[in-house]
Amino acid sequence: MMRIANAQVWVHNQDEALAFYTDKLGMEVRSDVTLPEMGDFRWLTVGPPGQEDFGIVLMAIPGAPVMDEQTGAEVRNLMSKGFAGTVFLTTDNVQGDYEELKGRGVEFTDDPEERPYGVDCGFRDPSGNSFRLTQVNEAVVNQR
Amino acid sequence: MTTFVPPARHLLKAKDLADARYFEQLDVEDLAHAAGLSRAHFSREFRAAFGESPHSYLLTRRMERAAALLRTTDRSVADVCFSVGLQSVGSFTSSFKRTYGVTPTAYRAAYPPAAASAMVPGCIARFFGRPRHNSTNEEDSPSAEA
Repeated sequence: MMRIANAQVWVHNQDEALAFYTDKLGMEVRSDVTLPEMGDFRWLTVGPPGQEDFGIVLMAIPGAPVMDEQTGAEVRNLMSKGFAGTVFLTTDNVQGDYEELKGRGVEFTDDPEERPYGVDCGFRDPSGNSFRLTQVNEAVVNQR
Repeated sequence: MTTFVPPARHLLKAKDLADARYFEQLDVEDLAHAAGLSRAHFSREFRAAFGESPHSYLLTRRMERAAALLRTTDRSVADVCFSVGLQSVGSFTSSFKRTYGVTPTAYRAAYPPAAASAMVPGCIARFFGRPRHNSTNEEDSPSAEA
């Protein structure tokens, strides 16, 4: 049986991302190691408390020769436009989390609104990555 | 109409705060404030509801996270101490030893290095681990054309 262990998001700056994902979103550090044998590559993962078997890899955009300058610029450009991918989170209290995160300075792109599947809102991390935060309407989902 | 809220619900707010924001400089005073009670009253009520003092609850949360960081990261002991909301490395070391029976350094040494358990995939190792192209100078050597 396959399970999802980690999923990666590109970040402009790992320290800035780490502060955002832990201090503002309340996630925990799962792994933070720097590997000298790999040119000081830093493997940095975070995850939500209570969901120990899943992590988000906060991956710095590498320079040449791992990633050529033009490709790096394209990735940065996609991120800044908000097209580098989306992480979908669920919660049991979307309004409460929305207010708490907003109070901590999280930049919301969508305030909570009713959707067919529940109440949904959206925000960005400092690198421009898109996040959805949803309180799923179990009654609707269970009808499937 | 005012809805009756069981007193334990206010205590739970304080407990949730300790779990969620342990990495900040929280103390029992902050937890009491979250519960809307005086410190002395709060400590008694918290212990009655959850079986341990709020100080102990907050500290064990910090110790649990510190132990995880020692196992899964290569951060220094001081950095781990600050990462879980504590300011004194000496107090941190004492608390850790009381909790786990060994110092943070000894605790870490009993586990494989964090790098060994980091799930760095082969594709990344191949990219980042290969020597820098210009370090070989092979293209400049006569044999490169052979």
